[in-house]
Amino acid sequence: MKGHANGGSAPAAWLAIAGLVLVVAVPFAAVVLQGIFPNLGQGSFSGPFSSFVATLNDSALIGMAGNTVLLGACVVLASALVAVPLGVFRALYRVPLAPLWDVLLLVPFMIPPYIATLGWIMTLQPRGYLQQVLGFNLAPFLFSLAGMTVVMAFNTFPVVYFAVSRTVEAVGARYADVGRVFGATPAKAFWRITLPLSAPGLAASLMLVFAAAIEEYGTPAALGRRAGFQVLVTGIDFRISDWPIDLPGASIMSLLLVGLSLVTFLGQRWILSRRSYQTVNGKPTAKDKRPLGAMKLPVVLAFAIVSFLATGVPLLSILATALSRTISGGLALDNMSLDNFALVFQNSAGALGALANSFSLGIGTALITGLIGVTAAYTVVKTKIRGRLAIDTLTIIPNALPGIVVAVGLILAWNMPWLPATPYNTPFILLLAYCCILLPQPMRYAAAAFQHIGDNLEAAARVFGASGVTAFRRILLPLVFPSLASAMLLVFALASRELVASVVIAPVGMQTIATFIWRQFEQGSIGLGMAMAFIAILITTLLPLLLLALLRRSGLVAE
Amino acid sequence: MTSEPDATTAAVSTADLQLHYGQTTVLKGIDIALGRGKTLALLGPSGCGKTTLLRLVAGLLAPSKGSVSIAGKVVADAATGAFAPPEKRNLGMVFQDYALWPHMTVGGNVAFPLEMRGIGRTERQARTMRALERVGLSAFADRRPSDLSGGQQQRVAIARAIVAEPQLILFDEPLSNLDRELRENMVGELAELIASLGLTAIYVTHDHSEALTLADQVAVMRAGRVEQLASPDALIARPATPEVADFLRLGGIADLERRGESWNFKGSDIALMPAATGAVGTARVLIPVAAIMPGDMQPGRLAATVLRSQFRGDGHLATVSLAGTDHVELQVLSRIKLRPGESVGLAIDSNQVRWFENSLPSPQ
Repeated sequence: MKGHANGGSAPAAWLAIAGLVLVVAVPFAAVVLQGIFPNLGQGSFSGPFSSFVATLNDSALIGMAGNTVLLGACVVLASALVAVPLGVFRALYRVPLAPLWDVLLLVPFMIPPYIATLGWIMTLQPRGYLQQVLGFNLAPFLFSLAGMTVVMAFNTFPVVYFAVSRTVEAVGARYADVGRVFGATPAKAFWRITLPLSAPGLAASLMLVFAAAIEEYGTPAALGRRAGFQVLVTGIDFRISDWPIDLPGASIMSLLLVGLSLVTFLGQRWILSRRSYQTVNGKPTAKDKRPLGAMKLPVVLAFAIVSFLATGVPLLSILATALSRTISGGLALDNMSLDNFALVFQNSAGALGALANSFSLGIGTALITGLIGVTAAYTVVKTKIRGRLAIDTLTIIPNALPGIVVAVGLILAWNMPWLPATPYNTPFILLLAYCCILLPQPMRYAAAAFQHIGDNLEAAARVFGASGVTAFRRILLPLVFPSLASAMLLVFALASRELVASVVIAPVGMQTIATFIWRQFEQGSIGLGMAMAFIAILITTLLPLLLLALLRRSGLVAE
Repeated sequence: MTSEPDATTAAVSTADLQLHYGQTTVLKGIDIALGRGKTLALLGPSGCGKTTLLRLVAGLLAPSKGSVSIAGKVVADAATGAFAPPEKRNLGMVFQDYALWPHMTVGGNVAFPLEMRGIGRTERQARTMRALERVGLSAFADRRPSDLSGGQQQRVAIARAIVAEPQLILFDEPLSNLDRELRENMVGELAELIASLGLTAIYVTHDHSEALTLADQVAVMRAGRVEQLASPDALIARPATPEVADFLRLGGIADLERRGESWNFKGSDIALMPAATGAVGTARVLIPVAAIMPGDMQPGRLAATVLRSQFRGDGHLATVSLAGTDHVELQVLSRIKLRPGESVGLAIDSNQVRWFENSLPSPQ
């Protein structure tokens, strides 16, 4: 079959393939091969699958896998319990201060989960802020499955809240009203039309929460260890960072984790592609919404409490700790100082180095993933050339690769003794890790943007005399640039505070923002760590937002 | 009929052009040739392959078999693997969805083909303004396409197609997104533009009135083949097949069979006309709208029942079912409105009945 004869697609495809092989295929293949051939490290393909049986019979592993799924399920359940009622109320009723709640519930997206967890620890631990204010602590609750569930749910439920409120609102406006015209009561229209149509969007968002929960490292590491609750991620971390190092075991556990995430991701994709009625257009409107009546006070109270728990507690706790001269001094006016912030800027414990490292890595990751993402998305969406299925597959894999697995893969791939040169133990290994973990973002944004561009826009450029490369540069790139720029800013924000891969594979002596915070917390310089955390949240959210606003104002889509 | 240009002198020609997608055959061997300064319409229902044929000429698709030549040069040949990309074919094209680049101004869109041809800034500006003036939009050069109405966007697309004076302009259902009134105005303007600039054009449409208005030659396509290639007059006077006649809505199609001294509607006692001696078997005929006079039921007229009726500008075009036959449907034009279920009497002028070639009765 001969398809489109676009001469310009070949360079893009080659660039995408080269990048994807280096960033995705190498670490992924390393994990798979190591899992199958336990003696690969010695350059031998002997005894394939031999370690499968041993590892899979290991009752500890079964326990960890079970814990992983259990934790994921609990977080999903808790998120749904919090988010669904709020989302439905937000969509169908006139909730007072609705825009304020929306903004407050966006904040958890800006707080990395590990930082939120540290904030919760500072609040609920013995002599924590809760005890100082109300006289009791919830430490036994915090360091348990229930505590982990609550902390993680309060960090991730906004995903579900926004999915539910937007879908229910759009469906309500477009389809439920039609039901009303044909005689359904509001209640009937909700049960027969709105709910069935919103269910796929809800299910997909819950699967997103599940995927995030099973790959989470910071919370189980900080809270679960004390409760003796090990999940796959912490188990893998243990096997590759504590002596004796067990690479085959780590890779089999990684494969198990990848399997879980892949099933979740494919399920979510299937639901969204086959059964989603989510509509992007249609601004939320306040008309047609029902008044809350007697429910007004309880609903507003619920929004206020949830917003405070999701946003107020972690942020205030981080800020209070960062502003405390000493932790033991507690919440007292004379204990307040900016010493910790001053220490960060005096480069205490290498703080400035960590900031510089994270920002350079963030910029590098944004540029590389942007380039791979835009070329791969173009090849997959806009061309029919051979090999685009391979590119599509390679871009899907990172969605199912938790950070810890990427780290394991990079260790396995670049630690081979016969390699003449290796990025291992250099900052480049972190760059590779971040690129692999964050590639899905630019890919998703760019693919969506390309899908919105009619095929004829490129065809027109070719017909009017532009070569394939010129058409890409003059027509397609400017059209996807707004989406791509947003994705790259998101990548920058996420890369510059990435925790798990940084903890596992940062070269000796190199710190990033996340490892700095983590180490300061472990070493007891909690105030310094929290000052850095606060600065990190501020910079990684405000900087991209500011840039985005500037780009918008200056006419992002200039010719 | 005009003499067919051969492949070496034609502005554009195709030879046994085929396109397959896996098992599916989209085009089954197309041979067309178009002289310089002429307009060819590709007419057919959706899915007949007309847009595919246009994209093969544009170089947006590559043929599975056969070749395409433009101005005597082979631009695509499946046998040799020769393939000139679209930008090397010196074309203009008007797309169904206009395909105006949303991030450029109207002027930027129209100037693009000149820019790609390496034409300097001053000349580019002058020619861009000239093209925009031609379509009456010179005041809109600095606007964005999204600020314009559908009809204005269409004019920008046309200005962009003619600005570089390409050797061939391709129109891909350019008017199908416009409402009817605008469409009828634009057909006239386009015809004028094509004539005054002496353009060589291929025009894809599913609207027979557009095709017959604009084109010197019309290729009626069906299921990946050219059913008939002829001038508009020849097409109306001598449709090659019942399908062509039906698609052009020239009238009703009926199957006849010889019964003794007359041609009867198949499976009935209703006679249409006397049969010449020696005529045998069955035949398929077109009974043109103009051949039928509707009126009251009288002896000598054929009884029919009105099925539906639509106002057409010069009268009410009614579809009627002939009584006593097996679902023979005819089209009649009536000055007064005929209501569904009403009975009418039809007088049919058998001299105007058109016999299809593959089912001609023996010489009359």
